[in-house]
Amino acid sequence: MNAMRKGIYGFFGTALGAGLSLMLAISANAQEVMNATLYGDMGVVSQDMLNRAGSDGNNFLHTNGNYEQTRYYPARQINASNVSKLRPAWIFQTEIVETMETTPIVVNGVMYVTTAFNHVYALNAATGEQIWHYKHNMGPVTTYCCGPNNRGVAIYNDRVFMGTLDARLVALDAKTGKVLWNKEIADPELGYSETMAPTVANGKVLIGTNGGEYGIRGFVKAYDAANGDLLWTFYTTPENSVGVWATRDATGRDMLRDIAAEKAALAKMGDPYKTLGGGVWQNPAVDLATNRIFFMAGNPSPDLDGSLRPGDNLYTNSLISVDLDTGKYVCHFQYIAHDVWDLDAVSPPVLVDVKDAAGKTVPGVLHAGKTGHVYVHNRDDCSLIRFSEAMVPQENMWVLPTKDGERMLPGANGGVEWSPMAVDANLGLTYAINLHQPMTYHVESTPYPEGKLWLGGAFKVIATEEQWGNVTAVDYNTGKIRWQVKTQQPMIGGVLVTAGGLVFTGEGNGQFKAYDSETGSVLWKFQAGAGVNAPPASYTVDGKQYIVVAAGGNTQLNYKRGNNIMAFTLAE
Amino acid sequence: MSRRVVSLFAALVFTGVVQGAAVARAQSAAPAGIADQVELCSACHGEDGRPVNAETPIIWGQEEYYIYVQMKDIKAGRRASEIMSGVVADLSRDQMRALGKYFSQQPWPRLAFKAQEGDEAVANTMASAGQCAQCHLSGFDGDSRIPRAAGQTDTYLEKTMLDFKYRRRLNAPDKASLLETFSDNDIAAMARYLAALQPH
Ligand code: HEC
Ligand code: HEC
Repeated sequence: MNAMRKGIYGFFGTALGAGLSLMLAISANAQEVMNATLYGDMGVVSQDMLNRAGSDGNNFLHTNGNYEQTRYYPARQINASNVSKLRPAWIFQTEIVETMETTPIVVNGVMYVTTAFNHVYALNAATGEQIWHYKHNMGPVTTYCCGPNNRGVAIYNDRVFMGTLDARLVALDAKTGKVLWNKEIADPELGYSETMAPTVANGKVLIGTNGGEYGIRGFVKAYDAANGDLLWTFYTTPENSVGVWATRDATGRDMLRDIAAEKAALAKMGDPYKTLGGGVWQNPAVDLATNRIFFMAGNPSPDLDGSLRPGDNLYTNSLISVDLDTGKYVCHFQYIAHDVWDLDAVSPPVLVDVKDAAGKTVPGVLHAGKTGHVYVHNRDDCSLIRFSEAMVPQENMWVLPTKDGERMLPGANGGVEWSPMAVDANLGLTYAINLHQPMTYHVESTPYPEGKLWLGGAFKVIATEEQWGNVTAVDYNTGKIRWQVKTQQPMIGGVLVTAGGLVFTGEGNGQFKAYDSETGSVLWKFQAGAGVNAPPASYTVDGKQYIVVAAGGNTQLNYKRGNNIMAFTLAE
Repeated sequence: MSRRVVSLFAALVFTGVVQGAAVARAQSAAPAGIADQVELCSACHGEDGRPVNAETPIIWGQEEYYIYVQMKDIKAGRRASEIMSGVVADLSRDQMRALGKYFSQQPWPRLAFKAQEGDEAVANTMASAGQCAQCHLSGFDGDSRIPRAAGQTDTYLEKTMLDFKYRRRLNAPDKASLLETFSDNDIAAMARYLAALQPH
C-alpha cells in the first residue's frame, strides 16, 4: 500500500530531478536481467496488431479476441480430432482466492491476468512463471455490485490498462508492472466502480462503469492512452430520457406499463436521468470501417421500482453506437423500455455480417439478452432484424413485481448474464451460455439512500425449484437453435470458439469442457477444482497452441472459489 | 467538546454501562483529532475491542467505509439508535472518517460463540435464497461498504436483522425487503450461525 504510494511520488520526484528520459532508462535497466531469461521480447503492441488480432494465431490481444468481439480463435492445432489429448501444461496460483472473471491477454509469449481486488500478474505464457505482480492500492471506498470482480486488462503500445473497484483507471508499464498513470474515473462514494476490462482503439482507452444497482448516471469515457487525459464522455442516460412511451418489448410482448401514472409522475418529479443507472459492464466492439463503437447499457436504477423513474428510461437496456473520435451518439435500440425486472443488456455485442429480413448480407450486430434471446441488428442504424428462439424457459413475462413477490422466468440473472458469446462466422452460429434460475421479483419504493445499493425491492431465488444451465448454438441468420446442451448448474463465464471446430466453456462445478462446434458433442473435459466462470482464451508459443482459463469460482452465483490460471496443451 | 461529553455520559448512565467509562483508555494511540471520541467509544465497544455486552456490535477491525457510513446514517436519522445518535450528533465528516479509519485498523476480537444444532442448515438455505455471498463474500468477511458479519456479537446480529425486517433500521432498504421474506426464527438461527463463524 505504502510502497505503491511511494512509487508514484518516486516517479514524479525522479522525473523532476533528473529528467524523464533518465528515469525511463533506469527502470528499463533494472528489468533487463529478468528479460534475458524470458521468452521473446515483450515489445510493443501496435495499433496494426490490434486491428489484425482476428487472424493472429499467436497472440490474444483483446478481451473478446478481436475488435468485432467474436471470440473466434484462428489456430487449429488443437482440434476436434485430437482434443481428447488436451492436458494441463501449467497451473499458476494467484494470491487472491476469490471470484475470477478475467480473460488472459497474451502478447509474444507473455500473459497478463487479473484477479478480484485488482491484482495484475504478468506470466511467462509457456511455463506459467511469474514475471511481475501488481497490487492496486485500493482506496477505502468501493461500491461494487455482484462481487469484487475484474475482467482483465487491455494492452496497447508498451502498457496495460485496468479499471479498479474504487473507480480508477491505471496504466502499467507492460515490462515492469510500474504505474505510469492513475486517474479517477468517477467518485466511488456515489456508487461508481469498475470491473470491466477496457478496450483500446486508436490511442483511446475506452471504459464504461458499473453502478446500475446504485443511483448513478452511466457512461462510456475515452482516455488518452499516453497520459490518461479524459477525451470524451458519453452518458448512457441523456437529459431527455423519456422516449416514446413504448408499451411492448423488442419481441412484441406487453410490459403492462401504467403510462398515465408515469406521465403524472414525470410532471411532478421531472426527468430522472441523473440517477437513472445505465451501467456499461462489458467491452465495446469497434467497427474499424466506420470508426464507430457499439456497447450495451444495463438496467435503470432502481432496478425493480419504476415509480421513481417515469418514461422509457433511455438509453438503459439498449444497444448503443457512438463515434470513436468524438463520443457523439449515432444510434440505439432499446430492448425493454422502463424495465422493472433487471432483465438488462450486459453480454458484449459482436460485429458480424448477417442476413437481413430480405436475405441480403449486411453488417450486423449480435447481442444475447438476459431475456434468453439472441438479438440480431443492422449495424447501420441499430435496428432489430430478428430475435432468436428463447434459449431458456420464459414464464409469466411480463408480470409486474409486487411487495410479496411474483414469480417470473427467466430470473434476474438471465438468460445470458455478462458472459460473452463466441461466433463462428463460417458456420453462421453464435454460442451463448445461459442460466435457468427461477426467482420472485419484489418491489418496495424508497428514495435513493445516498450512495448505497438501490434495488427498489429484492430478487429472491426460489430455493425449492430446480436450477440448471445450458450451452446453446444459435443460427443468427434464422434465429433457430441449432444445438443445445444442458448443464448441471446455471452458466456464467464466457465462450471461446476455435478454427479447430471446438467450443470451450466452463461450469460452476469445476468442469471445463470442449464441445464440437457443429454438433454440441462433449469431446473433452477437465475438473478444475473450483468454478470455471471466466471466458477462455488461446495462444501459441514456440509452435504450441494453448487454451487458458481462470478457475476462481463466482461470487454472484456462489460457485466454489479458487485462484488458478490453467493453461492446457496437447500431450506429446 | 464538553457538551458532547455531557450528552455522552447521559447516554452511558441511561444504558447502565457507566462503570468503566471514567477510567477508559484507548489501547492504541488514537490520532489527536479523535482521541477523546475513541476513549468514549471504548466505554461501550470495549477497550480491547470486546463490546461490553452482546447488544453492542464489535467495531474493531470492521470495514472502514462501513463504520463511517453507519455514523453518517445514524446522524442523518436513517438508522435509529437512541444510544448512538447522541454519540455522533456533533461529529464532523472528517472526524467520522478518521474514526472509521482508526477502528478498522484495530484487530478484530475473536469471541468464542457456539451455534446450536441445526443452525448451519437453516443458514445455508437462507444464504442461497438470499444470495448473501453475492455481497458479503464467502465467509461473510465483508469489504468496504459491506460489513464483516462473521464473528459479530449474536444478540446484536439478531436485533439488527430484525430491525431491518421491521423497518426500524432504514438505511439499507433493500436489506429490509430481503429480510422480510425470512421468519424471525430463521433470522435468529442465521445470527447464531454468523456469530460462530470466524472471520478469515
Ligand atoms: C453508550 C454506549 C455506546 C457508545 C459510547 C458508543 N456506541 Fe456505538 N453502538 C452502541 C450500540 C448499542 C450500537 C448498536 C445500535 C443498534 O442496535 O443499532 C452501536 C452501534 C455502532 C455502530 C454500528 C456498527 C454496525 O455493525 O452496524 C458503529 C459504527 C458505532 N457504534 C461506532 C461508535 C463510535 C465510533 C463511537 C465513539 C465515537 C461509539 N460507537 C460510541 C453503543 C455505543
Ligand atoms: C445486495 C447485497 C446484499 C445481500 C444480497 C445481502 N446483504 Fe447483508 N448487507 C449488505 C449491505 C450493503 C449492508 C450494510 C448496510 C448499511 O449500509 O447499513 C448489509 C448489512 C448486513 C448486516 C448488518 C451487519 C451489521 O454489522 O450491522 C447483516 C447481519 C447482514 N447484512 C446479513 C445478511 C444476510 C444473512 C444476507 C442473506 C440472507 C444478506 N445480508 C444479504 C448487503 C447485502
